[in-house]
Amino acid sequence: MRETPLSNCERQFLLKAIEEKKRLDGRQTYDYRNIKITFGTDYGCCIVDLGKTRVLAQVSCELVAPKENRPTEGILFLSLELSPMASPIFEAGRQSELLVKLNRLLERCLRNSKCIDTESLCVVSGEKVWQIRVDVHVLNHEGNLMDAASIAAIAGLCHFRRPDVGIQGDEVTVYGPEERDPVPLSIYHMPICVSFAFFLEGTYLLVDPSEREERVMDGLLVIAMNKHREICSIQSSGGIMLLKDQVLRCSKIASVKVSEITDLINRALENDRKARKEGGKFGFAELMAVQRITALKSDEVSIEMSDGDAGAPSVAITTESPPEVGRVPSPVVRAPGAGQVGESLENAWGLEQLEEEEDQPGDEVMDEGLEIKEENQRQEKSKGEVVVISDSEEEEVVILNPKTQVKESTLHASQSQPQSTGAAKKKKKQQKKKPVH
Amino acid sequence: MSDCLKEKVGEVLLPGDIFSFENTSEKVICGPGLRRNGDEVLVCKSGILRHKHPNMYWVDSQQKRYVPVKGESVIGIVTAKSGDVFKVDVGGSELASLSYLAFEGATKRNRPNVQVGDLVYGQFLIANKDMEPELVCIDSCGRANGMGVFGAGGLLIKVSLGLVRRLLAQQSALVKELEQVFPFEMVVGLNGRVWVKAQSMQRVQVLASLLESCENMTPQQRHALFRRAANGAS
Amino acid sequence: MAGLELLSDQGYRLDGRKPSELRKVQARMGVFAQADGSAYIEQGNTKALAVVYGPHEVRGSRSKTLHDRAVINCQYSMATFSTAERKRRPHGDRKSSEMSLHLKQTFEAAVLTQLYPRSQIDIYVKILQSDGGNYSACVNAATLAVIDAGIPMRDYVCACSAGFVEDTPLADLCHAEESGGGTSLALALLPRSGQIALLQMDARLHQDHLDTLIEAAMTACKGLSDVLDSVVRQHLQEVSVLTRD
Repeated sequence: MRETPLSNCERQFLLKAIEEKKRLDGRQTYDYRNIKITFGTDYGCCIVDLGKTRVLAQVSCELVAPKENRPTEGILFLSLELSPMASPIFEAGRQSELLVKLNRLLERCLRNSKCIDTESLCVVSGEKVWQIRVDVHVLNHEGNLMDAASIAAIAGLCHFRRPDVGIQGDEVTVYGPEERDPVPLSIYHMPICVSFAFFLEGTYLLVDPSEREERVMDGLLVIAMNKHREICSIQSSGGIMLLKDQVLRCSKIASVKVSEITDLINRALENDRKARKEGGKFGFAELMAVQRITALKSDEVSIEMSDGDAGAPSVAITTESPPEVGRVPSPVVRAPGAGQVGESLENAWGLEQLEEEEDQPGDEVMDEGLEIKEENQRQEKSKGEVVVISDSEEEEVVILNPKTQVKESTLHASQSQPQSTGAAKKKKKQQKKKPVH
Repeated sequence: MSDCLKEKVGEVLLPGDIFSFENTSEKVICGPGLRRNGDEVLVCKSGILRHKHPNMYWVDSQQKRYVPVKGESVIGIVTAKSGDVFKVDVGGSELASLSYLAFEGATKRNRPNVQVGDLVYGQFLIANKDMEPELVCIDSCGRANGMGVFGAGGLLIKVSLGLVRRLLAQQSALVKELEQVFPFEMVVGLNGRVWVKAQSMQRVQVLASLLESCENMTPQQRHALFRRAANGAS
Repeated sequence: MAGLELLSDQGYRLDGRKPSELRKVQARMGVFAQADGSAYIEQGNTKALAVVYGPHEVRGSRSKTLHDRAVINCQYSMATFSTAERKRRPHGDRKSSEMSLHLKQTFEAAVLTQLYPRSQIDIYVKILQSDGGNYSACVNAATLAVIDAGIPMRDYVCACSAGFVEDTPLADLCHAEESGGGTSLALALLPRSGQIALLQMDARLHQDHLDTLIEAAMTACKGLSDVLDSVVRQHLQEVSVLTRD
């Protein structure tokens, strides 16, 4: 599908805003968007959310014959796919430039830097080795696919466990997960990609460009580093002219960002490990908030209202009523006369004065019974599979309940997910701003 | 007949619901989503039935993708110039065509100053399923009437179709409240595109985020939000 | 590769060069009669051939036409006999596509495309013998070919590879040094302004060494640009001698 062209006024506005060091979503020049890492029930399955960009990585393994020129090493196979569901511009089955670029970058970042000990993947030299396969799928494209893909890939590799193998003489037995615990891969270091976007002939640079910023950028510089300050790969693309100092400056910024992200990944892995050990909940079904079409859950972003005002009020709404933890509204049944579809949407054609004047039974749903639930953020954190880095994260959950609260309580008995948000808008207190280096 | 329609106001209707007329003396104006079929009124879009005095009814549906309709004013982005015609992207399934001569004061010698990537505000002259849609930037008398090329400065944002209809409603409380926050300029296209411009870059960003977030808020939440924005701006 | 020292105690490399020494460069322009511009370059044992067509009408899909500048289309391929083992897939695989993309990006930055809107410039490069520094040889050959075709450029585009062994940067790597598993950096430079058109690095390098490595690569590129410059001048002189009355 053809993508919507970028109009001149949007381009000028974005460039002007960048000149004044302001980004559309309120971030600073060196800030990342919120990164959320979630692991699935299977080992090696990981979803990374970088702002709205969402990437899924799945690691799997099988026994194969090794390459002829490297008989004692295992094989690492990486593949990235741009699914058409990620963006209307991706077409199924066609190998576009972006796909080649991302794939090669990922390969160089992970394979050439030798982050995995491939010698340990050898089972029988010259005959059988493990082939580790990492498949990365892009689920939603909102800018900066490279970073999200690299985080997902390395987190998946760290999370993955391969079956244990026993060798007796010539016989090789692969033990299933019930017989022996699966063995983690031996990972030397975790390379993470950091993307820098250059604008206006290289005068301005931004970290973690969003989709709109990517459209107006001159070019991109991707630096892959690990937390030991070793550069694993550098790639400049897009036809920009760089100066040596710019590259060195970027590498310094990258080292800071990489250490933060590595900590985040380690925390997420730790939380997942704890949850599995203690028999707590883990996996996507438990950790991803259930989203329903009848209500809206949106992240609010704070934007500085006045220039240079440090404590500028954010454009956000505070919680009004105290929280009711653990209650989930019924997903199906509503009182008759209440609108099920488009409930959260207000009427469009000038009926607003009507709404405030009359109180028709049908409209009562909107005014009355507006309950705002706040989910215990601590509760989520203690589960911990979802670890969030955020500068300011606001999530809104509003429950639109019909007058009958009784109905609710009877219906939600079957719900077993206390923290799924459902048809609820919840508010979170704004988190403390992360200090920018 | 209008009684049974009146009963259903605020209820969810699905395509295929039929309301039949008993006495034909009452006049009922069918808005979008309702279609007359002889003596009956058919629902052809799913949504909530709305009503406006004295006898206007329509179905409020949530839709993101715009389908060109004759007579609607939209914001388009110029993608190409070919021959005598501009190709304009309006967010529909096809590019609309806009002739050089469809601007105020344009003649064969005096061509309008339109570049690729500019924004134009125009009306659909032709928009049906069988033909390529055609835009014009003049009205039937030949006057521009606010249409034409624009967009130096400012920002273009994409919102849902429901929100633009609310913005364009006659006594829109939304627009009135927005005015209280700070002065701004706004062009609203029925294809879900809104262009805003204010005194400073920051105000534009604030406006854009206000518009995007007030789609799914109740009036009280919106009041609170706008009040905070206004306090911050002053 | 164990036992093969990339840098001996006396400071000599595998082929006897000093760390900052480049390999011998020999180049020829105007090798093909059919093409608008062509060039052949030998950097040590690496041999590359580049051919330029354009600016001409955009072929293929009309939608690729840009209304304000020329489209640059690059294709990189390796001859099947260019490597030690016969290459089964000369072009179309991921590495070649990536190289083509990099070439395209490099030349889009260097060529003055604004002068030829709605047209297309094709650059085809073929590696005849590969002994390390493939990308650099391609870029240098393509630069000469573009100059031969008379297409205006901002500056010479010179490329060179560099590596790092035991705190010493090595310039212009050969195949053994590249595949030894150490760091390898490929840099494309516009020498007069010192701007980097493409920067690509593989394998681990500590951040502190980055400065010296890039510096070494840039010096090597500047040396290479002098060589290319002399080749161009010599070629022009020969041609003008031939066409003089």
